[in-house]
Amino acid sequence: MATSLKKKMFRVRDFFSNPANIILTVTVLVLGFFTLYPLILLLIDTITVNISDLLYPELMGKRVGSFTSFHWKRMLFSDVSSTYFWVPLKNALLMSTLASVIAIIYGGTVAFLITRTDIKAKKFVSSVFIFPYIMPSWTIATFWKNFFQNPDIGNYQSGMLYYLTKIKVPESFVYGLVPCAIVLGLHYAPFAYILIGGILRNMDANLEEAATILKATRARIIKKITLPIVLPALLSTFLLVFSSSMSAYAVPQFLGGTSGFTVLTTTLRQFINSGWYGQGYIMAIFMIVFGLAILGINQYVTSSRRSFTTVTGKSGQISYIKLGVWSNILAVIIVLLCLFFSFMPLVSFALESCTVVPGDFSKLTLKFWIDPGYPLNNGIHGLFYEPQVWASFKNSLVLSISCAFFAGTFGILIGYAVAKRRGSRLAKTADNLAFLPYLMPSMALGAAFLAIGMKTGLSKTMTLLILVGSIKYLPFASRSGINAMLQLSGEIEEAAVIVNVSWWKRMLRIIFPIQKSTFISGYLLPFTSCMRELSLFTLLSSGSIYLMTTLLEYWQVWCDQSANALNLLIVVTVLAVNLLINKLTGASIDKGVGG
Amino acid sequence: MKKLSMLLLIAVLLACSVFANGAGEQVSNAVADKIVKGQSLSEAELIALAKEESGDFIAYGNSSRIASAVTNFVKKYGAQIGLSESNASGSKMGDSQIFTTLLQESTGSTSKAASMVLIQDGAQLQLYRKNTTIMSNYVPASIKGKVAEGDLVPLVHQYINKLFIWNNLGDNVPAVKNVWELTEPAMKGRIFFKNPASEMVNMNFLIMCTSPEWAARLADAYRSYYGKEIALGAYKNAGFKWIAEFIANCNFSISSDTTICQTMAKADSAGNIGLFVLSKTRDLDASIKGNLSVGAFQASSVEPFAGFMYPLYAQIATSGPRPYTAMLFINYLMTEEGFKPWGGPSTTTMGAYSSSSDIGASEGDQPITFWRNCLVAENADYIMANKSSVVDFINAAIAKK
Repeated sequence: MATSLKKKMFRVRDFFSNPANIILTVTVLVLGFFTLYPLILLLIDTITVNISDLLYPELMGKRVGSFTSFHWKRMLFSDVSSTYFWVPLKNALLMSTLASVIAIIYGGTVAFLITRTDIKAKKFVSSVFIFPYIMPSWTIATFWKNFFQNPDIGNYQSGMLYYLTKIKVPESFVYGLVPCAIVLGLHYAPFAYILIGGILRNMDANLEEAATILKATRARIIKKITLPIVLPALLSTFLLVFSSSMSAYAVPQFLGGTSGFTVLTTTLRQFINSGWYGQGYIMAIFMIVFGLAILGINQYVTSSRRSFTTVTGKSGQISYIKLGVWSNILAVIIVLLCLFFSFMPLVSFALESCTVVPGDFSKLTLKFWIDPGYPLNNGIHGLFYEPQVWASFKNSLVLSISCAFFAGTFGILIGYAVAKRRGSRLAKTADNLAFLPYLMPSMALGAAFLAIGMKTGLSKTMTLLILVGSIKYLPFASRSGINAMLQLSGEIEEAAVIVNVSWWKRMLRIIFPIQKSTFISGYLLPFTSCMRELSLFTLLSSGSIYLMTTLLEYWQVWCDQSANALNLLIVVTVLAVNLLINKLTGASIDKGVGG
Repeated sequence: MKKLSMLLLIAVLLACSVFANGAGEQVSNAVADKIVKGQSLSEAELIALAKEESGDFIAYGNSSRIASAVTNFVKKYGAQIGLSESNASGSKMGDSQIFTTLLQESTGSTSKAASMVLIQDGAQLQLYRKNTTIMSNYVPASIKGKVAEGDLVPLVHQYINKLFIWNNLGDNVPAVKNVWELTEPAMKGRIFFKNPASEMVNMNFLIMCTSPEWAARLADAYRSYYGKEIALGAYKNAGFKWIAEFIANCNFSISSDTTICQTMAKADSAGNIGLFVLSKTRDLDASIKGNLSVGAFQASSVEPFAGFMYPLYAQIATSGPRPYTAMLFINYLMTEEGFKPWGGPSTTTMGAYSSSSDIGASEGDQPITFWRNCLVAENADYIMANKSSVVDFINAAIAKK
């Protein structure tokens, strides 16, 4: 007995002597609580009677908190299930799939052109391509609508295109499924650009050159070599974009059009507004289930591959495909697209913030920026004089930097551990748990953490906001970390292990510098997302901490011009941080891909 | 072993979430006693008791003007009761956010909990008042005789209206005199109304149209407009028929009342009409303000209603640390000075009306008695009884568009 106990202790000690195992164990325990607990709360709400449910004749007289199957039956099998669930589900699936395809094609193509060809204007494209992600998605939706709107559709106003060219596009191009998918695809195309480009940048050209020597065609090389190597990034991108699009509320709500295009999130919001959490959270459960299904497919594909290593201990080189005359033509096309989707929205915000009458550009004013008094009657000073702006600015920066630090650091550690123990049950569990919060709709996650906050005394504190933000955006960092680590061959670290270099030194001196560009993006993505996140923080910060996005939501009701000015400030802040990091470290989101 | 550990973890989490309970019940009983006592206290007595309280004074409201109201309250009473900008705040929150937050606050620590709420969904408020103790009604001694009986429990602080307002430019002005004009094919896509699926007060208005009183008045209006009795077909009453046909003509492309107002006032919107909050017109530039006409202000108004109005209720949140301060605040809100952020006789802000007869309407506006005669008002009991079925009907009508 003593011997077997000693053996067990020895096995445990041996297990925890591997840093990867320590990281994975801590990850499973901590994330297990913070992801499963909210999920359990959601599930419980779908099978219990809530106060507002007592309005239903079927539940009248029941005790609040008692179990019921009413919500599931009503959502899935009743005569209203088509209106509330099946049609919104169909719309959400179509919208998310289309958005994912658009993001991968657009972002992946640009990433390939930047990293593997001699196309011109690489620096410019690398810098501005990420702008649509930095902007809140609804602002791109606003720009889309303002640009393509014409007097025959929607609100019957003249958009920019009609104003300049008298061209009228059909209503289905401005409102409904297609524009929602396009706007979301454009918004998330930088995901594809960063993730796929990060892989392509580090890919050794010897792999392709060997195939060229053997007279393989370019198409065959892309199909048989390039695509399989970037497959993890493609699947990660699809996973992130699909999940994000399924959870998107602002874009379908804004571009729903005259009839109100419904998806799961708009219906979820409607039920939550009415206090019918049980029915609303059933939508949330399905969003999570679809996300998990894609996650499972992702894992099946990547685990069946022996290796995705592209960075080894041997020397590598990059050679570019020569495009010839197409180098300039394609550069012009991509630059124009980038200018249109990256700069035009910023110009639009700036102009809108200077209009006396919203939408009327014939009379402009700077008072919404610099007037220390009260413009109109909305009670808001000019932006630079408004105390709420600077208080919320400080709060947002503190929150975003903290979330980026925690999410980014844990993401790298999780990426390292998952890659090192790839294929083990512990690694798979940690990987899945790290991703689960991202699949949960922000408003549902916010409500769950509100409950955690009340029970732990963290309610309405910055600590709780940092906690929920770090967990919500950990998937970005962990995906980035995993992809980066999967590329690294074991021999890079082996030399250092043989000479007894400590784990910390190996991480800081070898692994991090090699994959610096991808790791840095793991910090910047949570920062960017936190700066423009609303649904997650709105319930947790109400009545206590003003963030720039919660202030923006409040101002949108009262003053379009001030709201546009604030929106511009949010975007400019994130761009400025990106520039600062670029100057200090030489790395940035765009530097991850050969700019 | 691993599966057992996972099952154990889930069981513990389930137990925590199902059985965890705070001491909310005892706290709210103590506050209820204070409220009973407070209803007979004068302002000076309330100040004395509020001075002894500690903790932050936090107020939630569906109206964003609550922030200004708290600021003004602190300016007036802060020095006397130990309040300043650092420990007093008012925050705007969404329809059910307030209830969710109050419920959670009732289970945990009270130092940062709200002490007062200004809330608009009467049906939900009634439900929570019947089934929980998270809110309590307080009627200040100072308003007795000044507020109608029906507005005392729960206490109505103000009414806000949404009216039919149209663009008066061009040859095709939709100067409606009867709401059935809005169901005509010519009006398709020209009626701008915030989607009721995302705005609870709009949904409540439509629910009220199905009530016996308003269904009868709609039937009369139908007869008045078409010169014949209404043929209901499959509809239960005239209210359902009007809702279905009205929604079919609505344009939901704009998702905020402020934007609807701004858009309606532009020259490009000739021929269009909106149903939105009157107070949004205050922010219009003078150059376009004259482009709008309010149906209720026309000589013949609109039959049988020119829009609708909904109340904002003032309640004490029983988990908050400062109930006497909350009572003093409600006392203050029921005065002309306290009502100023929303309107009142010394302002030009139209669209909000105090329930107190001491506080008149703003310049250029009509008093609350005028609006009670021509607008659909919420009846929380009717909405509670019919919400589940009528909401399904309305959502099905929206889905058919």
